Amino acid sequence: MSVQFTNIVKRYGTTTAVCGISFKVDSGTLVTLLGPSGCGKTTTLRMIAGLELPSEGRIEIAGRDVTHLSATQRDVSMVFQSYALFPHMSVLENVAYGLRRSGIAKEEATRQALEGLAQVGLEGYGQRQPSELSGGQQQRVAVARALVLKPSVLLFDEPLSNLDARLRRQMREEIRELQQRLRLTVVYVTHDQQEAMAVSDRIIVMNAGRIEQEGSPRDLYERPATPFLARFMGESNPAKGQVRRLDAARVCVRLGSTEIEVADSSAREGAATVAVRPEAIKVETAPGSANALPGTIAKASYLGTHMEYSIDTAAGTLFATCPRVERPLTTGTQVALVLAPRGVIVVRD
Amino acid sequence: MSRAALSWSIAGLLAAVLLPWYGLEDGLGSGAWIAGLWSSEDAASGLAQSIFFGRWWLAPTLAASLGCLVVSLLPLAPARRGTGLLIAGGGGVVLFAAQAFAVGLRGWNAGWLLSLLGEMEQRQVGIGAGATIVLIALLSLVSIGLALRGAFGGDAFVAGAMTTVTASILLFTAWPILHILAQAFQDQDGALRPLLIVDRLAESKIWSLRCLAGSGGCGVVWNTLFLALCCGVGSTVLGLSFALIATRTSFGFKKILRVLTVLPIITPPFVIGLALILLFGRSGLVNQLLDWSFGVQPTRWIYGFPGVLLAQLFAFTPVAFLVLIGVVEGVSPTLEEASQTLRANRWDTFVTISLPLMRPGLANAFLVGFIESIADFGNPIVLGGNFGVLSTEIYFAVVGAQLDYGRAAALALLLLVLALGAFFLQRRIVGTRSYATISGKGDSGLATPLPDAARRVAHWIALPWAGFTLLLYGFILMGGLVKVWGRDYTPTLDHYAKAFSIEFSEGGVIWSGAAWNSFWTTVELAAIAAPITAALGLLAAWLMVRQRFAGRGALEFATMLSFAVPGTVIGVAYVFAFNVPPLEITGTALIIVLCFVFRNMTVGLRAGVAAMSQIDRSLDEASATLRGRAPQTLFYVVMPLLRPAIVGALVYGFVRAVTTVSAVVFLVTAEYDLATTYIILRVINGDYGLAIAYSCALIVLMLAVILLIQFLVGDRRLGRRALPVQGVRA
Repeated sequence: MSVQFTNIVKRYGTTTAVCGISFKVDSGTLVTLLGPSGCGKTTTLRMIAGLELPSEGRIEIAGRDVTHLSATQRDVSMVFQSYALFPHMSVLENVAYGLRRSGIAKEEATRQALEGLAQVGLEGYGQRQPSELSGGQQQRVAVARALVLKPSVLLFDEPLSNLDARLRRQMREEIRELQQRLRLTVVYVTHDQQEAMAVSDRIIVMNAGRIEQEGSPRDLYERPATPFLARFMGESNPAKGQVRRLDAARVCVRLGSTEIEVADSSAREGAATVAVRPEAIKVETAPGSANALPGTIAKASYLGTHMEYSIDTAAGTLFATCPRVERPLTTGTQVALVLAPRGVIVVRD
Repeated sequence: MSRAALSWSIAGLLAAVLLPWYGLEDGLGSGAWIAGLWSSEDAASGLAQSIFFGRWWLAPTLAASLGCLVVSLLPLAPARRGTGLLIAGGGGVVLFAAQAFAVGLRGWNAGWLLSLLGEMEQRQVGIGAGATIVLIALLSLVSIGLALRGAFGGDAFVAGAMTTVTASILLFTAWPILHILAQAFQDQDGALRPLLIVDRLAESKIWSLRCLAGSGGCGVVWNTLFLALCCGVGSTVLGLSFALIATRTSFGFKKILRVLTVLPIITPPFVIGLALILLFGRSGLVNQLLDWSFGVQPTRWIYGFPGVLLAQLFAFTPVAFLVLIGVVEGVSPTLEEASQTLRANRWDTFVTISLPLMRPGLANAFLVGFIESIADFGNPIVLGGNFGVLSTEIYFAVVGAQLDYGRAAALALLLLVLALGAFFLQRRIVGTRSYATISGKGDSGLATPLPDAARRVAHWIALPWAGFTLLLYGFILMGGLVKVWGRDYTPTLDHYAKAFSIEFSEGGVIWSGAAWNSFWTTVELAAIAAPITAALGLLAAWLMVRQRFAGRGALEFATMLSFAVPGTVIGVAYVFAFNVPPLEITGTALIIVLCFVFRNMTVGLRAGVAAMSQIDRSLDEASATLRGRAPQTLFYVVMPLLRPAIVGALVYGFVRAVTTVSAVVFLVTAEYDLATTYIILRVINGDYGLAIAYSCALIVLMLAVILLIQFLVGDRRLGRRALPVQGVRA
């Protein structure tokens, strides 16, 4: 039950919210639309749902052209950011609503709704009103309500943004587990990069109405194509460096006084922006090894599981994480930084 | 959707072949027309008319219907089929309208057609069953065509609702009113003379400002405007006080309060005027008492601005209350709780959060009060004295010695401009802000009790008003139970016996009372009109709030038209517009029902718009993604959340139909006499006892109907926790 977008444009009056995007969501996978607010990701999701119709382009769901079909006529269902539980219906009535509207008899709808509630761990809550549930429970009702219809595509619009951090982690694990267990095709919208990486098979990063890059979470994290992506996908230090090509697959990147060999087949020679992942910086006490980058600790903070350091170097101030917490370095200490090649990324300018 | 297109095409063609095209004198009931479908000129079907009876101008419309069938049958892509239906169906509607307006009782209707095409032998009368169904089918096919082309989210129901609302408002509101307003620019013979309106309006009687200088009365425009402003503000303040007391305090007599606020709305307008005169008139009880105890000379202060305003406040506060109560209930308790946690005390919360959230409702209530006031006719005519307003001026222009329809139309135009001004003012105040406070997230907050200061103010405003209402109703009740008010206070039941006596004979029950005929007609027509009024008003509200389409503002304004124009003008406009083909319905019950529906749907619309802008759009969208088609979403999600507005619209639709006087006074016939027109005649004959007794019976009837509607529709279940009884006073 794949979803295929071809050259979709969405305009509101004179402003263009989505400018000509194409992508494909494979059957049984969870694909996340990730991006900052206002990037067009929610509009894109609503166009899959049929709540907005595209100005140009073609949408297919499960091989069928649905471009001009309304939400009701498409085999999709959606979990809303606000949950959109009907306040005048009980939890059971909410979950059974879609089944009843699909023409299923009352007893059967109730049976399936109870099954759906059991699937999200809410047995026995059927007779409550939505307002009598906690945020996480309301979220589960919303998921159950969408799930019981067994849609070709299930859509999530920032489903976790109203929950606390611990619940957020738990719910995203539940959603991922449910998706894998039932082999659902899911399109998921979020602005939280960690959440996206935790749940997705593929991530589509959007910015200003366009697709910035798409790929697996690992692809995007380790090989971000643009500075925007390097900043958006996890922490990274932007640094100015010099690139020299060694052979077709490798380049040598010079940062301050250190040189690192990096696997890269596309970067051009000369000055370039280099993104350095904080976890790829190994902090040693000076003078350290020969090819290390010397620096001074500017700030140090203790976070329980690891230390965070801001370090002034010739290549700019770098932010580094260090798992050694038993002997923390203090501000002003001279250090030598060794950069692991997999955390050094040459990005396009 | 293509099946629907096919069904409608077939239905249209069947109606063109198997039903009489024109209206029949004795209706379809007898079945005599079946024999004459192909042979009688009166009863012939559309096809027979165009072939055998020389009415060739019907042929293009029928061809368009056939075209729709062809488009429905061809194997086309949806968008192409949509375009085809739009062209064929839309063309059919245009051709239908063109022939209907071009050919009338005396051949060509317009001079230029006559000179262009020559004298015409044939004539045509008003449309009947066949033509009506053909027109409906064509309009439905246009809607389906629009939906197939992706308009209105590709939803045929929304497109159909849109077409229904637009077409009916155009036909039964915009057309009659524009028709009569056009008279403002025509002379007595119907020739177009645009400059005539300047003469008609440039009168000192209309614009004079002498009252500011202290000499004489002001012009009727200033009178109308000042009265309407006072009435709008006053009824909104009173309505808000009642709404707050009813929903946000632990006031013990809420039920009584609710009934009390509804009482004036179910009272025919002249009855309140009458009671005010009995109380404050020159020989009224208060004046007589003052004269007797203190020797104060009786004055005529009640006749004029104070009396009219008082009566209007009595009449329109309940409307404001009905609009506001849904709004006050809809304010999210969580937002108020949020405010209180942000260091705002209850008073600050009330002023900075609750009141602004109610702003769309307040603006709506004001608008309704304002427009009701400028359109009110009954109260100014009874209590106005020398204080003239536009609506009474129009009345005198039509019925007086002047008999000047042009002047009446010019004044009606002026009235419309005032309504228009209020409408745009309201638009500016409310703007396009969203006030969604019933969201899809369960709301677990508790409604905040009113701050003490606000509660005290509300009590001080509302309770004396309630007491005064009780007093007035006491007088009305007594008026029907004494022989002659003012002279002979002997208790009697004679008036009731005269109006409502029932005799039992061998043949069964005989309704021998004088009032039964008009009573049953009123009940029947009002009961037919009320559900249609509410359904159409709320449907229009739903379209306006939830659908994006061009011409939304124009449509909203068109619905305001019939509401803003005084009933007298509406009545005359309906008689003018529907006395001649194509729609010949003067003298039938249909025209009365239509007048009720399109005059009263605006309140349902306003209440619906106010209530619906408080329901989060994501609820509709959730329903859509859960396979709920638009009509199902409307029925299962929107309507249960709109119950207060539905009750309001139904009640208002029924009550206004029962109590209205001015609009129907030109429409009633001996066969279809209504309660109010009957009572007015009694009043004119000086038979106050019977009039008041009949009015009391109407009041009881309407109370019963309101309770029935409330019981049938029920309360809105929001799953919010109830407000605990306010125990301690701060």
